[in-house]
Amino acid sequence: MSMGQLLMSGISAVFNPSMFFMVCIAIILGTVFGALPGVSATMAVALGLTFTYTMQPIPAIVFLTAIYCSSITGGSITAILFKIPGVPSSAPTTFDGYPMAQRGEAGKALGVALLASAIGGVFSALAMFLLSQPLTAAALKFGPSDLFAVTFLGLSILTCLDSDHILTCIISGLIGLLLACIGQDKMYAVQRLTFGSSQLFAGVEMIPVLIGLFAITEVFNQTNPKKKRLSAEDGVTGGKVNTKMPSLKEFLSIKWTLIRCSLVGTVVGILPGAGATIASFMCYTMETKLSKYPEKFGTGIIDGIAASEASNNAATGGAMVPLLSLGIPGGNAAAVMMSAMTLKGVQLGPLLLTQQPTYLSATFMSMIVTNILMVIVAMWIAKVFAQILAIPYYYLGPIIVMLAIIGSYANQMAIADVQIMVIAGVLGLLVKVCHFNSAAIVLGLVLGGMCESNFSRAYTMSKANVGAMFSPVQHPIAFVLIIICLALLLSPIIMPLFKKKKQA
Amino acid sequence: MFELILNVLLFVFFGWAFFTHVLEAAVPAKVLKNPYALKPDVWPKAIIILLEICLLINIIKIIRKNKGKENFTISAFIASIPEFFKSKLFQGILILAVASFILEPLGFMVTSFLVLIAYGWLLGARKYGQLVLMSLLITFILYIVFSGLLSVNLPRGTIGFLRSFALTLEGIVQNVKNLFGGSKPAEETVQAATALLRSLPVMLG
Repeated sequence: MSMGQLLMSGISAVFNPSMFFMVCIAIILGTVFGALPGVSATMAVALGLTFTYTMQPIPAIVFLTAIYCSSITGGSITAILFKIPGVPSSAPTTFDGYPMAQRGEAGKALGVALLASAIGGVFSALAMFLLSQPLTAAALKFGPSDLFAVTFLGLSILTCLDSDHILTCIISGLIGLLLACIGQDKMYAVQRLTFGSSQLFAGVEMIPVLIGLFAITEVFNQTNPKKKRLSAEDGVTGGKVNTKMPSLKEFLSIKWTLIRCSLVGTVVGILPGAGATIASFMCYTMETKLSKYPEKFGTGIIDGIAASEASNNAATGGAMVPLLSLGIPGGNAAAVMMSAMTLKGVQLGPLLLTQQPTYLSATFMSMIVTNILMVIVAMWIAKVFAQILAIPYYYLGPIIVMLAIIGSYANQMAIADVQIMVIAGVLGLLVKVCHFNSAAIVLGLVLGGMCESNFSRAYTMSKANVGAMFSPVQHPIAFVLIIICLALLLSPIIMPLFKKKKQA
Repeated sequence: MFELILNVLLFVFFGWAFFTHVLEAAVPAKVLKNPYALKPDVWPKAIIILLEICLLINIIKIIRKNKGKENFTISAFIASIPEFFKSKLFQGILILAVASFILEPLGFMVTSFLVLIAYGWLLGARKYGQLVLMSLLITFILYIVFSGLLSVNLPRGTIGFLRSFALTLEGIVQNVKNLFGGSKPAEETVQAATALLRSLPVMLG
């Protein structure tokens, strides 16, 4: 299918009144979820999944994509008005957003945040659309050893992101990989690690585990609150605000910031494991260094808000690139998207473009539509935000719990799934105690099956010779990728040695 | 201390799993005959070995980091256990665990109502009348959205009259839908309502 045909199929899939209505509902849900502290973008997607069980694949994809994109934007509302990021990736938005709000410029700060989010989002959607064809073409030429190396790279990158807890990060990834082994082996259908439970024959059910880890654990955490919860009066403007778009002159003054941060955000989003949070911090620091007036950053300038918001929304779209064309999620929220889309019968990976191109174009088009509609819807939400915050957590928390219960149950109408969800919620608490990384566990779990089956195929094809699997002559791509993986994995051991030598 | 205990437990558990549960069924003969096939136990075993090495290093790290700290003792940990059982967190876990078991016998409506009340109370709701009303309202909205609009099959419950109640409701929802969709009224509603009426005397006494 050519680019033009793809575009047309996307437009015909999304541009109809019922779909527009659904996108609006999803944006409202996503923005509100994102704006509420304690509800992450991942949780928003996990809870949004509950609404999509009975939908057809395309509406479900459109609905979830809209929730996914808008939840990141919602975080900026609380960041600017309350100095508390609604989602972690909005943290740098507080640096300049809150001082602006204190000066009485909350409306303008919000306007810039929404506009920057939309530009970042549209940019990354275009990147996704343009990159998916060449990436798919390349991925179709990949053999099992190359595919194994790509998946393994996705897991290895995780380790160098959380540099303070590298060991626990590796342990988490390995636990995820081991969880993926539970049930019947995909190559020869031999039972493994089921501990006699018939529930586990088909493997660990992904959806309840994800809902448990991301929604229930968070509600548990909020059950023992250490801090006072937000109320509308805490905000600089009493929570009520009128958004105001920046003037053309102001907009032109930040155009390069917007372009740079959208680009960097997209690239960071494409890297597995590195999500919106890393992108926004990275771009904020980058802009401080590149700016002609670095001293003004942090005092309340629109450049800071634009850098943070353009990049975190760009990263959201960027994460969809490897997900759609290679079947490798770029982060937590993308991993939930992956499970949801697989449930809907979407074949993520190289086959998507060749066999189900409409799904790809629907995702692209819904990202574009969401990012544009979001500006209008989020503006309205910012206006009524005081009322939303007035919903006490003793109603919101139990509602999240009920949505999670329905979401887990409706997956396959099984009570056992609800029990798995509760167990996963408790495990999420233990993961926190041990300083393990839940993102690494989820990526391990999601990628484990693919990693093993490709390794197994490559092993057989190279006649049980592991060296030949990654030989630079036969499999140059796999060779290069494995070298990068080894460098990443061994860097925590090697780097300190270098530092010691330098010091000596 | 809890972190150390969890790491040790994981270490022991994975060690036990390595020897007992990696393979739980016989490997097919054709796989055994093929010298180039990766046996199904190799991958998980390799992961467990790496995991055990990392866990061991982590255990040593935790011990080194906390050595000499006052509360880094087993007795301090045991002393902190009763505190956990009194905590709101434990009560929250308990509510959800109970909910996951009563969902099947009591059905969605009753479970949702009870969870909303119990968890709402736990999170600090003290206006009881309002809490009960809101819980009823939220249950109703959730039911209409998921069962009515999105056609999700929510658990009906296995206890006779609760099941009849759920079926009656489903029938009413279906009839309302049919009103807008223009199809014939569902006969099941009448049947379910009759069943509910018949079970009333049993309920009352």
